[in-house]
Amino acid sequence: MDAAQQLQSLTWSDAAYLAPEWILIAFMIVLAVLDLFLPRRALTGWLTLAGLLTSLGFVIWRLTELAGATPQAGADGQAVSGVIRIMADSYRIDYFSSLLKIIFLVATALIVLMSLGTVRKADIPDRGEFYYLLLPAVCGAMIMASSGDMITLYIGLELLSITTYVLVGIRKHSVQSTEAAFKYVVTGGISSALILFGMSYLYGITGATNLGAIGEGLKAHAIDFPAILYVAFFFILAGLGIKIAAAPFHYWSTDVYQGAPTPVTAFLAVVSKGAAFAVIFRIVYNLAFYSSSPGKPVADDVFLVLLILAAAAMLVGSTMALRQYNVKRLFALSGVANAGYMLVPLGLSIKGMHASGVGEFIFYLAAYLLMTIGALTVYAVIAKSTSQEDVGGFAGLYYRAPWTAAAMIVFMLSLAGLPVTGGFFGKLFILLGTVQSKDYWIAAVMVVSSVISYYFYFGLIRQMFMRSTNEADVEVPATSGIVIWLCAAATVALGIVPGPALDWINSHFSLVNDLFISMG
Amino acid sequence: MDTTFSQAAWLIPLFPLAAFLLLLAFGRSSRMIGVLLGSVSSLAGFVLSLLVLIEHMTKGQHDYQYAVKWIDTGSIVFKAGFEVTNLTALMLVVVTAVSFLVNVYSAGYMKGDERISVFYSYVALFTFSMLGLVLADNMLTLYVFWELVGVCSFLLVGFWFSKPEARAAAKKAFIVTRIGDAGLLLGILLLYWYMPDHALDFVRIGNAFEGGTGVIAASVTTWIAILIFIGAVGKSGQFPLHVWLPDAMEGPTPISALIHAATMVAAGVYLVARTFDIFQASQTAMDIVAYIGGFTAIFAATIGVAQNDIKRILAYSTVSQLGYMMMALGLNSMTGGIFHLFTHAFFKALLFLGAGSVIHAVHTQNIQEMGGLGSKMKITAWTFGIGALALSGIPPFSGFWSKDMILNIAYHEKPALFVIGVVAAFFTAFYMARLFFLVFMGKPKGERHAHESPPSMTGPLIVLAVLAVVAGFVQTPWNDTLGNWLTDGAEQENGGGGLVMVISAAIGLLGLYMGWLVFVKGMISRDFVSSRAPWLVRLLERKYYIDELYEAAIVRPLRALGGLLNGIDDYVVDGLVRAAGGAAFLIGRGGTRMQNGQVQTYGLITAFALVILIAAVALRRFW
Repeated sequence: MDAAQQLQSLTWSDAAYLAPEWILIAFMIVLAVLDLFLPRRALTGWLTLAGLLTSLGFVIWRLTELAGATPQAGADGQAVSGVIRIMADSYRIDYFSSLLKIIFLVATALIVLMSLGTVRKADIPDRGEFYYLLLPAVCGAMIMASSGDMITLYIGLELLSITTYVLVGIRKHSVQSTEAAFKYVVTGGISSALILFGMSYLYGITGATNLGAIGEGLKAHAIDFPAILYVAFFFILAGLGIKIAAAPFHYWSTDVYQGAPTPVTAFLAVVSKGAAFAVIFRIVYNLAFYSSSPGKPVADDVFLVLLILAAAAMLVGSTMALRQYNVKRLFALSGVANAGYMLVPLGLSIKGMHASGVGEFIFYLAAYLLMTIGALTVYAVIAKSTSQEDVGGFAGLYYRAPWTAAAMIVFMLSLAGLPVTGGFFGKLFILLGTVQSKDYWIAAVMVVSSVISYYFYFGLIRQMFMRSTNEADVEVPATSGIVIWLCAAATVALGIVPGPALDWINSHFSLVNDLFISMG
Repeated sequence: MDTTFSQAAWLIPLFPLAAFLLLLAFGRSSRMIGVLLGSVSSLAGFVLSLLVLIEHMTKGQHDYQYAVKWIDTGSIVFKAGFEVTNLTALMLVVVTAVSFLVNVYSAGYMKGDERISVFYSYVALFTFSMLGLVLADNMLTLYVFWELVGVCSFLLVGFWFSKPEARAAAKKAFIVTRIGDAGLLLGILLLYWYMPDHALDFVRIGNAFEGGTGVIAASVTTWIAILIFIGAVGKSGQFPLHVWLPDAMEGPTPISALIHAATMVAAGVYLVARTFDIFQASQTAMDIVAYIGGFTAIFAATIGVAQNDIKRILAYSTVSQLGYMMMALGLNSMTGGIFHLFTHAFFKALLFLGAGSVIHAVHTQNIQEMGGLGSKMKITAWTFGIGALALSGIPPFSGFWSKDMILNIAYHEKPALFVIGVVAAFFTAFYMARLFFLVFMGKPKGERHAHESPPSMTGPLIVLAVLAVVAGFVQTPWNDTLGNWLTDGAEQENGGGGLVMVISAAIGLLGLYMGWLVFVKGMISRDFVSSRAPWLVRLLERKYYIDELYEAAIVRPLRALGGLLNGIDDYVVDGLVRAAGGAAFLIGRGGTRMQNGQVQTYGLITAFALVILIAAVALRRFW
């Protein structure tokens, strides 16, 4: 491949494809300026929401166009198979990235909506910044989902990371928040270092940053550098393992989730985690298969490590949560366990009957989004009216706010993986995947960890039915109420008609077109 | 031949069900809503039942049956439906009438209870279940409602669950009747197995067994009948499963009247009557029914003589009278059994409600602490007196006619049972005399401020008193209306009763006279027996030591076995479970220990984990 193609510059027509990202950046800049003049900060929140929804509209519009396009080989290689490839595959708009972008944007929109009702001025002095900083963060996540090149990928990663460092520490007057931000910066630094180190080895072997080109290079050179390949992959996985908070790289998450404002916690748990998963999928699927050589099955070992991380995350997350009474720490650990579940379809690789890993992952991520944001919104509402951060805040919720309690039960059932909820089918599809690929041990780990997790999920439910000691009324702000009910309704909907959703994902998604970056 | 009302009979249980559901939803909002909904729904049921009954009085009226598919698994189809026969029509009226009166009565009796709405919702649920049981057109639906009335009985006996006795009684009632229910279930299964087409509806059961056609082998028939009878024994408090009924008196008194006198305990009798064709096909089963009934009648009557709790005396009397009913059925007279059920429902409900009125006034149940209430509670005393006379079998009160009919049959069929019945009748009259004289006559003791109960309580008493007087005239030795109607003329039981009538009336009067002599005149000393044969009195007071016997022979060994098994569960099974749970906690604690809040530790863990992963997974490839 020639250098000209590598460094192909951005054209105007390419720029149009990036509309969703541009919109987010534009809104961010305008809001940053407006914020100086606007008297009422709540307006910033609504404008942020408007920006997110506009961007979402463009993503969906592009996706429907993708769905309608007939696969064809374009002369300039820009529209092969309906996938839009910009800057020589540095940036790809395909089903995989579009679906993830929808998830990220919906999640962020819900988070903004939830913040509008629950964030207090005393808590977060700079509410304007709080809202518009979410825009570059989600933009970073979208870049990560779309990247086909290590450089864009890393830029997206850092865009997301740096903005979230600020967001975690935005409760300036709270020692906890500041400490959390500091820890997050340090851990994030470690993570970036590990990832960059691994990437530099890959570049060293192949001389390319484009994932497709690296793949090509590995085909030729993998046999010469098995040890270096191991190091490269393992460092990258460890770095991204920190980002998805998979055990044993998850220790930062409890402290950070607890210190961060609840909406930011939700953002870290859903968007940040999801974007890191997108990157793992891209890298592993594009590179791992080409890195094996006789006697050195690097690919198998990479998938094995993914499964080990998955098992560790599931077990450590759910056992550590047993004795956790702080709700946000509890959700951090629940997030660790869930990261384990989502790693499973990835680690199962593509073998035997199992080729629907991405569909399983996306379905579970969607269910996870709904139940986590819903549950954290309920928590935010309760924390606001009772000022209690541990599970005791839920005591007697059923008697104080029966409908909110009912929604919370839906979320808990979904997290525990019981019908009729999205979480149940999410787990079920993953379990079916493990059976298809005959990796029964990981299925056993999933089941055991699920059973252990009943203890604390049902502990929360039990709290809600206990007689309340504090009789403070729970006041549910309208916006939070909308989030709770949207999430609960969607969770149940995914639980009642999971088939169509998964079928739709699987029917439009093709590994070859969407994940693999072919050098056509 | 109009069946308009029979077709609508399925509505009858729905009235109380609706009341139950409404009370469940809105019961907390008002204290009066229970009284209102309970009374109105049972009144509506009563009116419709009465219309159904009147419709069925017309000559040549056919039974009406309607069923829908309930469970359809392809090879097995269960139907659920209702059937209105003359028998069910009669039962419907009895149940709804007593239920309505008890609802009204409870408005006064339960007035001070803070859970009055819950009480009414339970009563409504019970009424629904009982009506469902009566209307059921097949054994399976009947069984469902059979269990439902058991649950309601459990809930209502234990209504005052803060009292330990009430809790224990509720449990006992439930468990003991469950023993009988298990028999019934086995009977139903056996029936299901052997019936052509696995049919369980009463029409086809009747066809299969009628006249012993031999569709089903004789031994099987006997077993089916015995198993069904075991269910009836449990529900109707027959020996040896009678022990729960006296204890069930811990429930509120209106419940004792409704469930444990008039309706649910009669369900056993009703069940035998409903499946009478099966019993008629097996003489062995019939004999068992007759002898168990006869024995229970005299057994419980003697216990009643030595009790001091007003409600327990009535409870043993109920057991004894149910024994009469069973005896009549066993002597091949459905009319006798159902006739006595019919009259007994009214006069025993009357007696219980009267007892409730007394308890309401003096706040004790011990008759030794009462006395002289007659002058203060005139209505209660008069109506209770009528009930007592009816129960004692004094003409022309209703109890006389039905009991006389049973004795008459026994006289012709099995003289031994006739003698037993007469002796039991004597004891019945005697303990009722004792009860009445101790409570209403003599000098006041204890509570001196007793006063008459409110109209909501005396009203039902008066209505029931009227019924207790006239209900017997539907069937007299000169008038076979009920028998003809109930059995379509199959049972003709007339004539030849002159001698029996005289004996029956005389023995009742003798019992009352003896009671009068002992407890009013004092001609015979009260400790006449206890001074000469203290063991006999003790034996009766302790109810023949049946409870103690069960405790020693069944409960203790079972407890021991349970304790042993529980030990295995506690130490072996739970040990394993705890070990698993402990392991989970331990892993969690291990993980938490590293969670020390120091970010440098986290970095170190990351580094170590990475090294271990590389060492474990990758290094093996380079060996």
